[in-house]
Amino acid sequence: MIPETLKRGNSTRGALSRERDVREAYSAHSGELYGFAVRSLGDAGLAEEAVQETFVRAWRAGERFDPKIGSLRTWLFAILRNVVIDLGRARAVRPGVAEGGIEPSVEPLEEALLSWQVEEAMRRLGEDHRRVIVETYYRGRPYAEVAEELGVPEGTIKSRVYYGLRALRVVLEEMGYED
Amino acid sequence: MKTRNDCRDWRELLGVYALGQLEGDERAGLEAHLDGCAHCRAELALLEPVARMLPHADPERFESAPQPPPELGARIVAKIAGERQQVEKLRHRRRLFGGFALGGATAALAAAVLAIFVLGGGGGGQPEQHVKFTAVPEGINIYASLEPHAYGTEIRMYVHGVASGTLCTVALRGPGGAAYPAGTFRYRVGDDSEAVLSSALDLSRTRAVVVRAGNKTFVAPVGRAPIAAITQDQEEPT
Repeated sequence: MIPETLKRGNSTRGALSRERDVREAYSAHSGELYGFAVRSLGDAGLAEEAVQETFVRAWRAGERFDPKIGSLRTWLFAILRNVVIDLGRARAVRPGVAEGGIEPSVEPLEEALLSWQVEEAMRRLGEDHRRVIVETYYRGRPYAEVAEELGVPEGTIKSRVYYGLRALRVVLEEMGYED
Repeated sequence: MKTRNDCRDWRELLGVYALGQLEGDERAGLEAHLDGCAHCRAELALLEPVARMLPHADPERFESAPQPPPELGARIVAKIAGERQQVEKLRHRRRLFGGFALGGATAALAAAVLAIFVLGGGGGGQPEQHVKFTAVPEGINIYASLEPHAYGTEIRMYVHGVASGTLCTVALRGPGGAAYPAGTFRYRVGDDSEAVLSSALDLSRTRAVVVRAGNKTFVAPVGRAPIAAITQDQEEPT
């Protein structure tokens, strides 16, 4: 008799059932997951722990993943979010560590997620667009000065800011951002 | 300054405007245009939430993202493989005892993952063997799994249904019938744990597991049959 589970070998459910699936999911998403974990936990060691725990939990709950509901990436991020909350809580109760700064409550985590999203989106932006936004917005430099430095008309810098924000929105949407 | 009659010219100022950095005539001109241009208002509505997100980011982090250490992936796969083995043991016992010996949560875990690990068995490494004891009377359950090691064989034992406190002595028997002691344990009512024992006999040379529980002796032949064939015999009736 063939076990029921083997008959369903080609099923799309059970996203991380096999080691190969885990490896594939890891190579596709670990960079982002790790980046967010570092951003929210502020510690590389804890971030590794968080990413590991995320994949283990995803494997345990693999049968519950349904691609019709959302992407694997979204699902992994949802798990990581919970893991980060758990690790933040665990750290908060350890004396001497909590004072250093990780808030265990949910609000700073949302803030960290937002920060990470914008930073990741900026990293994916084209160099021209990123540069004008950094120089004019973050560094507060005059448009004329930036234009001269880059050797283009001031109007071009202004339009680049527009196209840059447009592109940033597209990247954020690709990453799951919604208004 | 060039004249801005074209909607597109105004639109290209929307980014600077959304960042709150448009000043003077340009600002006044754009605002007048926005009053009469639904298209540019809609465009601005797309940019404003993005502009509001910018203060949350740290520009020092735009250059490079932190990368996970190269060995993390392998560590995760290894951890999952280890957990899969544990689940397999649980599941095996659950099959043998119909879930009797397992707490609800553990049984649920075993059931939930039951579907998962069967496909993942190709992970390499030497598998443990589950053995079946012959001539076990009604009411007694006895189970062992054997795992090969460099030092010999690890034996995980579980006995249920004999009198509480019964001394159980375990040995492996080699090809010539020689016994290699593996140790002793006691069964206690309500104890759900496995006894972990070891014997110096290589699993490849092991022909039988012999358990003496009180005045009864149970023997499980150790063959080279694949695990699938063994578990198949023990399929619960449907």
